[in-house]
Amino acid sequence: MFTQFFNWYEKRHDYAREWLAKTGGEVVGCFCSYAPEELIYAAGCLPVRMLGSHEPQDVTEPHIFGMFCPFCRDVLAQGLKGRYKYMKGIMISHSCLHLRQSYTSWENHVPVDFSYYLPFPAKVQTVHARPYLKGEFAQFKEALEKWRGKLIPDDSLREAVELYNENRRLMREIYALRHAPDPPLTGLEAMVMVASSFFVDKKDHNVELKRILPELKNRKLDRNTGARLMIVGSEDDDTAFIKMVESVGATIVADDHCTGSRYFWNSTEVNGDLLQSIANRYIDRPACPSKDWEERTRFPHILKMAKDAKVDGAIIIQQKFCDPHECDIPMLRKYLEENGIPCLFLEFDVTVPLGPFRIRVEAFLEMVGEEDLF
Amino acid sequence: MGAKFIKVLLFKDGRVVVRTREEAGFEPLAAAEKAYAAALAQAGVAESDVQNVFATGAGRKNAPRAKDSITEVSAAARGINHLMPNVRTVIDVGAEEGRAVKCSATGKVDDFAINEKCAAGAGSFTEAVARALEVPLEEFGRLSLQSSKAIPMNAQCAVFAESEVVSLVHAKTPKSDIARAVHDAIASRIVSMVRRVGINNDVALIGGVSNNPGFVDALSRGLETNVTVPEHAEFIGALGAALIAGERSN
Amino acid sequence: MAEYKTEPLKSWKKAKELRLNYYQNYQQAHDKGGLRWTGGAWAFDAIPAGLGRDVYNITGEPYGASIAFDRSLSTECLEAAEAKGWARDLCSYMRNYWGSMYLNKYAFGGEYPKPDFCYQDHICCSHAKWYQHVAEYKKIPYFCIDVSVGPYKDLTENRLMFVVNQMHEAIEWLEKTTGRKYQDDLLIEAVENEQRSTSVWAEVCLLNMAKPAPLDEKSMYSLYVHGTLSKHSKEVADFYEELRDEVKYRVDNNIAALPNERCRLMSDTQPPWGFLKVFRYLEQYGAISIGSLYTFGLIGLWETKPDGSWAPRKTSMQRGETITTRDQALRILADWNLAKPEWQHFYHPNLKTEMMMQIVKQWKLDGVMLHLNRGCEGLSCGIMENRLGIAATGTPVMTFEGNMGDEREFDEKRVMARIDSFMETLGLQIQKTVATA
Repeated sequence: MFTQFFNWYEKRHDYAREWLAKTGGEVVGCFCSYAPEELIYAAGCLPVRMLGSHEPQDVTEPHIFGMFCPFCRDVLAQGLKGRYKYMKGIMISHSCLHLRQSYTSWENHVPVDFSYYLPFPAKVQTVHARPYLKGEFAQFKEALEKWRGKLIPDDSLREAVELYNENRRLMREIYALRHAPDPPLTGLEAMVMVASSFFVDKKDHNVELKRILPELKNRKLDRNTGARLMIVGSEDDDTAFIKMVESVGATIVADDHCTGSRYFWNSTEVNGDLLQSIANRYIDRPACPSKDWEERTRFPHILKMAKDAKVDGAIIIQQKFCDPHECDIPMLRKYLEENGIPCLFLEFDVTVPLGPFRIRVEAFLEMVGEEDLF
Repeated sequence: MGAKFIKVLLFKDGRVVVRTREEAGFEPLAAAEKAYAAALAQAGVAESDVQNVFATGAGRKNAPRAKDSITEVSAAARGINHLMPNVRTVIDVGAEEGRAVKCSATGKVDDFAINEKCAAGAGSFTEAVARALEVPLEEFGRLSLQSSKAIPMNAQCAVFAESEVVSLVHAKTPKSDIARAVHDAIASRIVSMVRRVGINNDVALIGGVSNNPGFVDALSRGLETNVTVPEHAEFIGALGAALIAGERSN
Repeated sequence: MAEYKTEPLKSWKKAKELRLNYYQNYQQAHDKGGLRWTGGAWAFDAIPAGLGRDVYNITGEPYGASIAFDRSLSTECLEAAEAKGWARDLCSYMRNYWGSMYLNKYAFGGEYPKPDFCYQDHICCSHAKWYQHVAEYKKIPYFCIDVSVGPYKDLTENRLMFVVNQMHEAIEWLEKTTGRKYQDDLLIEAVENEQRSTSVWAEVCLLNMAKPAPLDEKSMYSLYVHGTLSKHSKEVADFYEELRDEVKYRVDNNIAALPNERCRLMSDTQPPWGFLKVFRYLEQYGAISIGSLYTFGLIGLWETKPDGSWAPRKTSMQRGETITTRDQALRILADWNLAKPEWQHFYHPNLKTEMMMQIVKQWKLDGVMLHLNRGCEGLSCGIMENRLGIAATGTPVMTFEGNMGDEREFDEKRVMARIDSFMETLGLQIQKTVATA
């Protein structure tokens, strides 16, 4: 049922090239999930999120010091290895320092026609973030218009907002199905569904989502659900890991990743000024830890998600060296455990050692299972 | 004065007279004395006839007999330049450290990189895995040449890599494929470092690990260029030191 | 071997006193009914100054460095932070600071003095999170200003106002939190002092263009630190003026920091505080580090002259602008800080490479030593691109790995061996007799 999503995920470059040939637009690489994709889409471009390929590589050491996260190096490697030769534009919304280096090194060493650094408030909790971000979106919009040589009409922007909102709504609806005692989709399928949405035109993605949604409601998986887990943490599209977890007696039923629910959780509520409405959506979305202060708003959000999905435990994963998550994890763990959700912590690299991780996951599942005995 | 072996080289009138080698063990200074004495004996030279002695390598500052020392970086550049003047990138991989040196036509160091500590211990790591697989070290390199299967292994951190080896063993992966995966992973770390100074032809590999054909093969593939291993590759540093000792005694 | 005369720095004693007073004032603030707050060295510290003359702070980075300097205390603190589950690769200043808080040990004797509030600004991934945790652990209020507005060269009114608006918000918050009435005249005074101290520090650095250099970087660390403690205070601004006069005297009289100066280098990022002997080691070769973007540009504020050279940034007073309102003071303060050189590379490494190459040229340097500082993701951000950029100009450059605040990550033997290699490439040999200043 999810074949199309897997195809898109695995053949992202083929899709992008076909899209270019079909539309005559441009592909714009976005280095952080805070990219205002609606604006890029309305400019006739395909915004794609830059992810890695989970292969060891030897090309980034001259560019990024080894104490930065493996994800940011994996992303840069894709450019240095020439896998995005068709991509003419790149942009980043002010992100963590790690990912910012993928962007700046890309700009230095991989030829592009358009490159834009979008200042973005890290303090999304101040009222001043809203007008500031609206102003930055306006400036970004102008830069896109200049590059593409034509204005972005309000109608196109409005259509893009609706298209993106529909995508978000559909994925949320599918995520809600995972609350069922026997979820009709695996965590792996959910992960690939969201990750593929980074690479394809939301029009295509929506068609596929709408096709599977009614079928999903009646789908019975030929497997035991086992322990219900949620997965929380840094960027994560490690399909090998999630496959392993779901092969040892567990199902992932919820997540809090920028490559998962954080990306699509909330929609744009158009209210008055369109750019301001879009800006508000990005301010109000579930926060990345680097943007979650002074108050910790992530924790109650994650707990609610865990409760809604009735999870037995949480796997907290962290890209090695990921400072934003490292600044949250000990407190998050404490918070979840105090609220009755046991946690397993694992550190991720470009590839993960599946053997040793399997042992830890199995031990965790035994521990989670045992609680029912008492 | 290497981390694993002490090498002595005697140089006279533009040519190498003798080379001797001793395992450093727990008494590297005694080992050095032994190798030095052996060199003199083999060459039939009296100590008073030795004009100058220079040391290089990890233990260079404590080397007995040496009047002065130079670093491994300068020694590598100088030594390779004497044998192969066209070499512009010399890669030196020993038990504990990997180095890449960009050198000029005259054997001067233009730039160099040394592995950061997370990527240290290339030689030692190969040894440890060979031991774990119960394969003699000499076999280990040849074994990997039998494999044509690339298994991705985490290249950034030896500790992570070791646990991946354990997974491969559990998954009943053939030893030859594990050997290749290990060499590919280590070579990948060295290639990463070499890229910092740039891959400028010709490229030569020296140091103890150059004896390992599995590593040389993996390195050539990783660098996408032919890597030459000079004869007596682990003595190149000693040769460089001898050349500089000769100059400085004049 | 000595070619130049040398003599100890007279300002040394004053520098030491000022620093000790600073930490004592903070400790004793409550005895006199005063307030104390904690936050970063990059925070806009002129703003809380408007709460009264009895408001004292400690800044986390120099505090973390002070702990690092005491290796056994540092190990205790780092282990205490690790015991709470924090990752070993997080900012080592932050881990030292948190450890001191958990152990309830003040690096200058006694218990960790509980702050009344936290006040910070957010420059890297950790800055806001640092005091988020202090505030939750100590159960005190917290306010943090976000400066994510891009590099100074691209500053727009929208971006500047994001910072200024938050500053206004901070003042309202401070009034509410402390119950004190905010005094604009004290703010204005602090903004003027801050401009004075940071501009005069740039003058001091500029004097180090002289050959022989009147100051070596190891000494500069003990002097620039005041700008990281209390750059808005009259004491620091006055001290820097005295210091400038002394350094000028040294230049006029050819008094060298290193009598055998033969090679001029610059470093980069914070040094490994537990291993400042790296700098002494260089001296054996006649090599001196005359500063860095870090010592010049974290506390020093600069402007670029039409010929491209660096000069101390002109203060509002020097430009003849009188500050009369709160808004005007805040705008000047925001603009001044956003121009900070050490702030620019957070957005693009090329900006830093350009600045470093300007220093190489203007201060007539022979090489660059980059400290790959595992303790600070902020200042290490883009550092490998800096290496590439500097090497591309033909300037000799080396890297060494370490950690500003966690000595467990410093491999002394390997670092010294690497320095030997670099010195050899520069054609330097150890001089057997060494006279030290």
